[in-house]
Amino acid sequence: MKVDAVKTMKEIEEKLHFSGDLKTRTVQFFGVDVCLCYIADITDNMLLNETLIDPMLKFQGEQDGDIVEVLKNEVLSNQEVEEFERLQNAIDKLLAGNTLILVNNSDKILGCDMEKITVRAVAEPPTSVVIKGPREGFNESLKYNLALIRRRAKSDDLVVKTFELGELTKTQISVVYFNSVADKKVVKEVLRRLKNIKIDGVVDSHYLVSYLQKNPNSLFKQVGDAEKPDILVGKMLEGRVGVLVDGSPIALTVPFLLVEDLQNSDDYYSQPIRVTFIRILRLVGVIVAVLLPGVYVALEKYHYKIIPIEFLVTIMNTTQGIPFSPFIELLFVVLLFEILYEANLRMPQYFGMAMSIVGALILGETAINAGLVSPPAVMIVALSGITFYIIPSQAAQFSILRLLALVIGASIGLYGVLLFCVFLISYLSSFDSYDTPYLAPTTPFIKSDQKDLYRRDTIKDMIKRPLSVANNRKNLKRRDKNDG
Amino acid sequence: MTVNFRQLSIMTFMSFIALKFLALPSLLYTVSGDMSWLVALVLMIIDGIYAVIIVDLIKKNQKKNVYDFMKSILGPFFAKLILIVLLIKFAIVIANILKGLEFFVVENFYTELNWIVFIAPLIGVISFMIYKGVRNIARVFEMVFIAIIIGLIYIALKSFAGVDLLMFIPFFEFGVQPLFESAYVHLSWFGSASFLIMLFGCVDFKNAKKFNLIRYIFYAIGIVQLLYIVFYGLFDMTSPTHSFALSDVSQYYGGRVAVNELSWLVVSLWVVAQAIQCAMYGFCFVKAVMYIFNIKNSIVPILILDAYMLSWVIAGKNTIKLERFFFSDFASIITIISQYIIPLILLFGYLIKRSRQKRKHKVVKNEEIKVNI
Repeated sequence: MKVDAVKTMKEIEEKLHFSGDLKTRTVQFFGVDVCLCYIADITDNMLLNETLIDPMLKFQGEQDGDIVEVLKNEVLSNQEVEEFERLQNAIDKLLAGNTLILVNNSDKILGCDMEKITVRAVAEPPTSVVIKGPREGFNESLKYNLALIRRRAKSDDLVVKTFELGELTKTQISVVYFNSVADKKVVKEVLRRLKNIKIDGVVDSHYLVSYLQKNPNSLFKQVGDAEKPDILVGKMLEGRVGVLVDGSPIALTVPFLLVEDLQNSDDYYSQPIRVTFIRILRLVGVIVAVLLPGVYVALEKYHYKIIPIEFLVTIMNTTQGIPFSPFIELLFVVLLFEILYEANLRMPQYFGMAMSIVGALILGETAINAGLVSPPAVMIVALSGITFYIIPSQAAQFSILRLLALVIGASIGLYGVLLFCVFLISYLSSFDSYDTPYLAPTTPFIKSDQKDLYRRDTIKDMIKRPLSVANNRKNLKRRDKNDG
Repeated sequence: MTVNFRQLSIMTFMSFIALKFLALPSLLYTVSGDMSWLVALVLMIIDGIYAVIIVDLIKKNQKKNVYDFMKSILGPFFAKLILIVLLIKFAIVIANILKGLEFFVVENFYTELNWIVFIAPLIGVISFMIYKGVRNIARVFEMVFIAIIIGLIYIALKSFAGVDLLMFIPFFEFGVQPLFESAYVHLSWFGSASFLIMLFGCVDFKNAKKFNLIRYIFYAIGIVQLLYIVFYGLFDMTSPTHSFALSDVSQYYGGRVAVNELSWLVVSLWVVAQAIQCAMYGFCFVKAVMYIFNIKNSIVPILILDAYMLSWVIAGKNTIKLERFFFSDFASIITIISQYIIPLILLFGYLIKRSRQKRKHKVVKNEEIKVNI
């Protein structure tokens, strides 16, 4: 069917509800009306002029056949030129930053990619700061993020599958993995889950999390994340599959193991002995963060005979005259801490320091002086609160668990806290993420993977890819044992 | 849902040490005196041999569950009869663990304890674990077992300086008769391999090494012996008065039992181990009920188990006669049958069936050869 350029342009305007940022221009080319349609704010004007309008106006050649073919082969110097036969497809591309070229009496519409990419500069993400190691993090552009990955993995084995999600947002989603390393079943399952999503919009990668995990209502995260290309590529080298979303600086990774958050990218750039020490410290930190307030209340309320006598005397002296029970006292401090944290997070940065002073010093000090809370309670909660951020990505979960442990410790005592731990281990043991046991390689115990669990061996000693993660078992070797 | 061979070995290890560190050492001493450690040693070695036999049978019949296996060699009636005996055995062990745990918790953690508060959360956790399956129980064991081993060894070594090894000699001071008597009376505390019977069809033998199981059994025997030697070496004649071996050994300090010296961390780990142990026997209990009554869903059997545990803690503990009945003669007889006779029946039944099949196979082959000729 032949296109009436002006009529089609009107049709496009109607389809876009005469949107203010839709720009059109008609140019005469060999005496034929050629209409250009583009969205002003997302189109690179310079590119438009240099690669389309200027060449068209200055073209001196002869019309040799179809005008569309002349435009495509002789005029347009743009790299990406597509032909559309259906108007809707052309409009979709227009909205993604293409400029549409409508030639009168032609049966095709041309589209040139002229997207103006306005992105944040590549910077170090605040939650993945390293002392030594690469500092570039993902930003909100999928293209840039894919480029960062490509720069680190210049292999034909790297697969990028891109498609659109979101009926209204038409967001670009890319699934990335190493073909010879990732488990085909996992790739298939990820693609199946993503393609089955029926949603009006995807504005961030976290919109996809609940679709990718098996137990979406669980407190515990079952999908990993990476804000830096080195982390994502490192995870992909172990067999994981990454999901990137246009507009989000956070890539998702599956399968996910609980121990992943105990590890940090810094670990792989530091001395193994120190890393081992730090990892054990992180583990202890997790236990302290979750259990300390609960255990303290249990000890103070039910099992004070366990506490060494000198320590008990100190506690008794400081808690004397406090009008609340140990539980209410701790609960008050815990909630105060949570409120301060939440306020601090959302406040403008220049308020942050003042907030810390008001919160920690004035509020805490005044509460102690007024005899509302005891110094040990503040100390316990502060210690627990600080240890949360040893593993920042799990802080939200820890705060809920801490509250639960506190309530249980106050109502049943240490016995309850112990049963809570058993329940927690049992609950976590029952999880799996894409055929990968959540607590692996601790349980099921995988001997070879202990090299990178709490202790970390040198990279040279890690000959095989981890068995804990579902990956291509036929290609486990990272290198030959005797090499290097 | 299957467990791997390492997890099976750890479960066996935990089952072997399960009831050994609470009242048992003092109870053994009342009958067999200084040589009580030998009673434990011999009975545990026998348990170990049975464990190896049962695991071997499981390995040779990997696709069958326990009921199908027993039915194939004994028929449905005897299969169910054996399951009933096993069910009673598991009920006894659960009661034993609950009783020990209950007193242990009261003694070490609380001055007063509401029994509902004690049993309700325990039932909740155990039910959840059983519902999630044997793999879940095995994984929880796998998570905590290293900590438990380290804790037990730490307790033993910490108090070892006070042990008087000379008190163990002369050996057999009162002859061997008390040893046999003690072994019989306390049989219900042993028979630790019987739970394995319920794991037919639940074990993945990929990369399995039989030596691993034997190694874990040796670890269990070694740790139990170490703690018994420390216990008897520390308390000697006063052993019968120390009914919580683990906490009393850990509290032993400078020739006396000092309250504040208790290794709370280890004691806490022991409570955790006992809770998981209870879940493991609870799983066996639930499976037995499922096979006996042909129930497909595990929820009703779990509720039956919950009711049993609740009634035992709330009502049963006050019924001294019932308790004595449960923990002495009746329990010993059931243990002898379930632990020492049933595995042999299964073994010989299997061997007879296999030899019959072989003979049949041979006859068919010979007939085929004749026809060919």
